[in-house]
Amino acid sequence: MGDRLTQLQEAMDQLCKQFVATYYWLERHHDLEKFGSNDKIPDLKPDQVKEVESVDPETFKAGQLELARDLITKEQQIEYLISTLPGLDNSERDQMQMIRDLEEEIAAAEQQRLEAVKEKDEVLKKLDSLICMIRRYK
Amino acid sequence: MAEPDEDDSGRVVSTWPDPPSFWHAFTPQNIERYKALKEDYVKQQGIDEETVKKTVIRVPDIPPDLINLRPPHEPEDGKWNVFSDPQTLSTETPLSFEDAGVPRLGPGDDLTFSTQDQDSKHLDRGFELKKLAKSLLLNYLEFIGVMYHRPDDAEEKIQDLKTILLNFHHTVNEYRPHQAREQLIQMMQDNLDAKRQETAAIRGVVDRAKRMIEGLGSLEVPSVEEGGEREGEEEMSKEEEERKILERKSELWKELEEEFS
Repeated sequence: MGDRLTQLQEAMDQLCKQFVATYYWLERHHDLEKFGSNDKIPDLKPDQVKEVESVDPETFKAGQLELARDLITKEQQIEYLISTLPGLDNSERDQMQMIRDLEEEIAAAEQQRLEAVKEKDEVLKKLDSLICMIRRYK
Repeated sequence: MAEPDEDDSGRVVSTWPDPPSFWHAFTPQNIERYKALKEDYVKQQGIDEETVKKTVIRVPDIPPDLINLRPPHEPEDGKWNVFSDPQTLSTETPLSFEDAGVPRLGPGDDLTFSTQDQDSKHLDRGFELKKLAKSLLLNYLEFIGVMYHRPDDAEEKIQDLKTILLNFHHTVNEYRPHQAREQLIQMMQDNLDAKRQETAAIRGVVDRAKRMIEGLGSLEVPSVEEGGEREGEEEMSKEEEERKILERKSELWKELEEEFS
């Protein structure tokens, strides 16, 4: 899991892989057709490597459908990733303004924190002295 | 620079060519000698150390057998080839998108993150990316169609796909500075929240401790003051008082222990 942009790029790479895989499948499994009545599909010798492994039309159609669906799904995924990119609503100027504001707020918060720490230390000292007193009485 | 080699032809033709013949000159002794020469030269010329670090010092008039140790001049036009890839001296930005030979789809310069463009929202960038993604799918469909009818014409379509892909990735990468700023904002926000939480937690503890002190103090303070005032007056009642105080205190001790355990 990277950031959104990396996810987006990875999704795009996956889509490309799917393109290649889809193309390969179609190229491998399509049926052989004759252009004219004179054409003949040559019979292959048993030891010859087949160029295509034709599957029956229904399986081919189903395969096509599945692959196409996968492509669309991936595409939708990509579009979803695009629409969730961080800060689509902000311009650079907005961002800089936000950063500056946050900077001030953080400084203020730090000031408050330090005050609180100081107060804590004081209270701690008081408690300490009280405890010492109690010890004296014991 | 190098002396032409006698069996030069063999060197160039072979798959793994030998290093250029002048590598022989780089013996440890020669390197030492060159170093000494260079140091002398630097001293002589009074070049300060910063310059020595930053620039390449070329020592003039060095013995011919050390000539190969002297770094060559920088290429005048700032370009040279390494493994037949062109390189440039300028370390500025890599080649711009158009320079790399890829046509720009969509509104070209409007998309770049230039300083004049600070106000543009990034919604249009998202829109651009979506357009590219859709075009990619459509072009793939067309590509499959072309492969079906005339595979020889597919080259063009492949080029289109490539262009769209490169454009897509380029736009995504252009988005990165924006995302980085966005992440910075997020981190600062987290930091702020953490600080506020810490402050609140400290205040909480302080308040509790204060209440505790008040509880103790309401007994303690008068007892000490009164103890001073009444000294020697009523020893007995004072002792009694102290005993009472101690009882209360032991109760408070228990409370304290519960609080901080």
